[in-house]
Amino acid sequence: MTGERPLALVLFEMILLVLLGPLVTGVIQKLKALLQCRQGAGILQPYHDIIKLFRKGTVQADTTSGFFQLVPVLVLAATVAAGALVPVVRAGPPAFPLGDALMLLGLLALARFLTAVGALDAGGAFGGMGASREMTIAPLVEPVLMMVVFSTAVAAGTTELGTLAAHRGASWILAWRGADFLGFAAMLVLLPAETGRIPVDNPDTHLELTMLHEGMLLEHSGPGLACMMLASHTRQIVTLGLVSALFFPVGLADVAGVVGLLLGAGGFAAKILVLATCLALVESSYAKLRFFRVPQYLGIGFVCALMALALRIL
Amino acid sequence: MSSETVQTIIDDLGALLLFTMILIIAARQISHAIHSVAAQSLLIAIAGAVLATATGNTDLWVIAGVTLSIKAIVLPWVLHWVVRQLNVRREVEPVIPFSATLALAVAVVVMSFHLSASLGSVRQAITGNALPVGISITLLGVLVMATRKTALTQMVGLFASENGIFFTAMAVTKGMPLIIEIGVILDVILAALVMTILVLRVRSTVDADIADLDRLRG
Amino acid sequence: MAETLLWILPLVPTVTSLLMLTTRDRRILSAIDVGSSTVLFALTLVLAREVAARGPQTLGVIRVDDLGLVFLLLLVTLTLAVSIYTVGWLRQAVEVGNMKVESLRSYFALVHAFVATMVVTILADNLGLLWIAMEGTTITSAVLIGYHGHQHGLEAAWKYIIVTTIGISFGLFGTVLVYAAATDVMGGAGAMSWSAIMKVAPTLDPGIIRIGFIFVMVGYGAKAGLAPMHLWLPDAHSQAPTPVSTLLSGILIKCALLAIIRFQTIAAAACGPAFPAEVLLVFGLTSVVVATPFILVQQDIKRLLGYHSIEHVGIVVLGLGFGGPVGTYGALLHVVNHGITKAVAFFAAGTAIARYGSRDMRIIRGLLAVAPISATLLMLAALSLAGMAPFSIFVSELMVLRAGIGHRQWIAIAIFLAMAAVIFAGLLHHVGAMAFGEPPPAAGREAEAWSPLLGMLILAALIVLFGLTIPASFDGVLQRATEIVVG
Repeated sequence: MTGERPLALVLFEMILLVLLGPLVTGVIQKLKALLQCRQGAGILQPYHDIIKLFRKGTVQADTTSGFFQLVPVLVLAATVAAGALVPVVRAGPPAFPLGDALMLLGLLALARFLTAVGALDAGGAFGGMGASREMTIAPLVEPVLMMVVFSTAVAAGTTELGTLAAHRGASWILAWRGADFLGFAAMLVLLPAETGRIPVDNPDTHLELTMLHEGMLLEHSGPGLACMMLASHTRQIVTLGLVSALFFPVGLADVAGVVGLLLGAGGFAAKILVLATCLALVESSYAKLRFFRVPQYLGIGFVCALMALALRIL
Repeated sequence: MSSETVQTIIDDLGALLLFTMILIIAARQISHAIHSVAAQSLLIAIAGAVLATATGNTDLWVIAGVTLSIKAIVLPWVLHWVVRQLNVRREVEPVIPFSATLALAVAVVVMSFHLSASLGSVRQAITGNALPVGISITLLGVLVMATRKTALTQMVGLFASENGIFFTAMAVTKGMPLIIEIGVILDVILAALVMTILVLRVRSTVDADIADLDRLRG
Repeated sequence: MAETLLWILPLVPTVTSLLMLTTRDRRILSAIDVGSSTVLFALTLVLAREVAARGPQTLGVIRVDDLGLVFLLLLVTLTLAVSIYTVGWLRQAVEVGNMKVESLRSYFALVHAFVATMVVTILADNLGLLWIAMEGTTITSAVLIGYHGHQHGLEAAWKYIIVTTIGISFGLFGTVLVYAAATDVMGGAGAMSWSAIMKVAPTLDPGIIRIGFIFVMVGYGAKAGLAPMHLWLPDAHSQAPTPVSTLLSGILIKCALLAIIRFQTIAAAACGPAFPAEVLLVFGLTSVVVATPFILVQQDIKRLLGYHSIEHVGIVVLGLGFGGPVGTYGALLHVVNHGITKAVAFFAAGTAIARYGSRDMRIIRGLLAVAPISATLLMLAALSLAGMAPFSIFVSELMVLRAGIGHRQWIAIAIFLAMAAVIFAGLLHHVGAMAFGEPPPAAGREAEAWSPLLGMLILAALIVLFGLTIPASFDGVLQRATEIVVG
């Protein structure tokens, strides 16, 4: 459990996350389709979409600046870099100073910011509206994430995710204190907000009233749009990986060698699958909240996280 | 079962109780609030059973059983029945907005932790987190009673408050004498009955919720 | 002998309450009512003599000492007077249609159940039993408050039950904390018993007792009508039927005060007398100050009397807060005096309301012309409530003042005197307008019924008696009760 993670392993984990991200989205879409009693697209459909977009040309509005072309690349870079910080197959600190959970949240916040700036840059109504809504949600989501991270970090004494997961150890369920329940509840409340799913946002529609994230993507096309979509898939799997590293570090390998890696990868896949199923179930069971109700919904997460922190500290 | 494990389990149950309390405060539909208070009573019954096995006190078994049957099953069922009679579904905006209520709830929780930390050595000897959690739930139940305009939600707040007191009693003193606990539950049942009667009476004479009446002034 | 009395006393009103359900005839119901109250009164007098001779008596979880005896005597006196008054009041109410004949038996049953729960509250030695009985009083009186069945009554009953139940929850929490502190010291055996706790009180953890006392103060204080938890009181006491209002104002809020006194003695022994005294002073002053402006602007006579109750409860708490033998004696005496005077006031108001068909004071005018005896009694009660000599409340208020001066609480005294002067003027204005002047044509002009008058006269005699002197036996009870509180 407490091996060091060499550079090669970190890079491998990062690439694994990027590659598996669209698969998770595909699984969620398939589950939702099955729950709606229809066949739906295949699990690999998101890959086809991204490859198709890479082959197309770009159409750019006249009102955009040169910065607009950089935005998709920067967003993808930030999200993938965040992916490097999540322990996937093995727990333990990386062999060189990489960054901790706060860095991860900061990178995700940077990606969100850049997306919004790109949307505003185009000067369209949809972009502006999507950006303003996304930025309204952001100040409610990010502090809560930080509080959850802090509440788990107080026990381990560090915010570095690998060390945190190693500290949790194999006896994770027995070691769950009351604060962990509340922190996990807060994370469950926040997951739809971070991944852009019901009940906060509807990823399937492109109606102006129901878009948060999608609204900001409207001006992008071709490879740029492919980068943005890949970034949102990666963001989703990174968030799920964060939840599993904080709360369910079981399965992270302590056996060296290929066997350990395979075990770790299998454990990770299982956990992500379970969380993705939960997301799909929530998406199929609830309706999207009115935008003005979203702060109250996130307020529940805020209170849970605050109480988790209070229970730890006081 | 070692006292360490018992302590941990009681603390964990306390955190879950806080979670159900948050759900009650943030509930927008009365049926959600009723489900949350039923879950809360169930958790209290579990806590009672845990303590009973740990201390060997048979009174606690009785209390756990009575709490489970009455406060987790019968009373929520009665409340659901009243909801169906009155055909009330959505919650109206409370006296202070939801976000302010949640903020106040956070302040109450922090304050009760602070309060029990100031008690010093006696508290350390008694329990870990259970006393502040108990105080919080009692006060938050009162907050719900005081800030909501629907009669049924006020009753839910009353049950939650009683749950908080029970939890404090169980965790701090390993239960009050059996007669007292039975008496308290009986009183709560009677109070709930009388309140139900009043609610239905007002509904039949005036088509308004009883908690909305505010003619008497000055 | 005393032991049997102890368990017979709560039994008498309970059995009566069940008996009431067997018949529908109004006259039989009233006869049972008066008979039972007389029996209760007689038994209490016997018990009082026992306690005077042999000291406090215990029977399991109930116990009678001189402190409880003061409240018990007040309760049975008021119950007897209310029973006598109800005979005539009920006849008139049934004629007018305020009370339905078929529901009379449930009314009487509830009233006696209410009295039974109050008896248990006063006699309870076990703090948990005290709580249970207090909640029992809430439940029975809530039904009685909404008894007339119209919208205002139900609103008042709902506010009452919600606020007092919130309050009593706090009280239960404080009880649990005190129990926790006691269990630490004594183990589980008898840790709920007030008399047992008092023996070990100096060794209790002061931190827990402090928090517990504050919770109890807020909780039982809400039941007693202390500001700022008083919002239910004017509504509840005005909307209830008049005999119920009398019991509520006269004795129920005093039972809550008894609970506070019990916890005060524990807290004074555990944390030193300064802490509970400060808390009591704050609540007492707030109540007196808050009640005064509302008294001035009132138009509903029963609401006016409700606010007066808040003010006088504040005075009692002030007396307890000033402390010392004089303050406590004055406070306990004030409990009795206010109960009796408020009863006369409510009785007179009830007959006036019945006569004029309205509670509005602007309509009730010229009472002296149409009902001279009632009007005189109303004026007597009002003057007494305002604190005029030679009536009983003057004596007790003077004792509270002396205690305050003796403890050098100048600011509290100044505020109290200012409020008392304002209230005196306001009350005189209201009652003077009601008693003198021309009666409106709609006022009933029939002769005054004898039974309400009889009830009022008995109590009025007590007012004058206590204003002039206190009989030695009662004085002895009060002195011993003071000793229990002061320690």
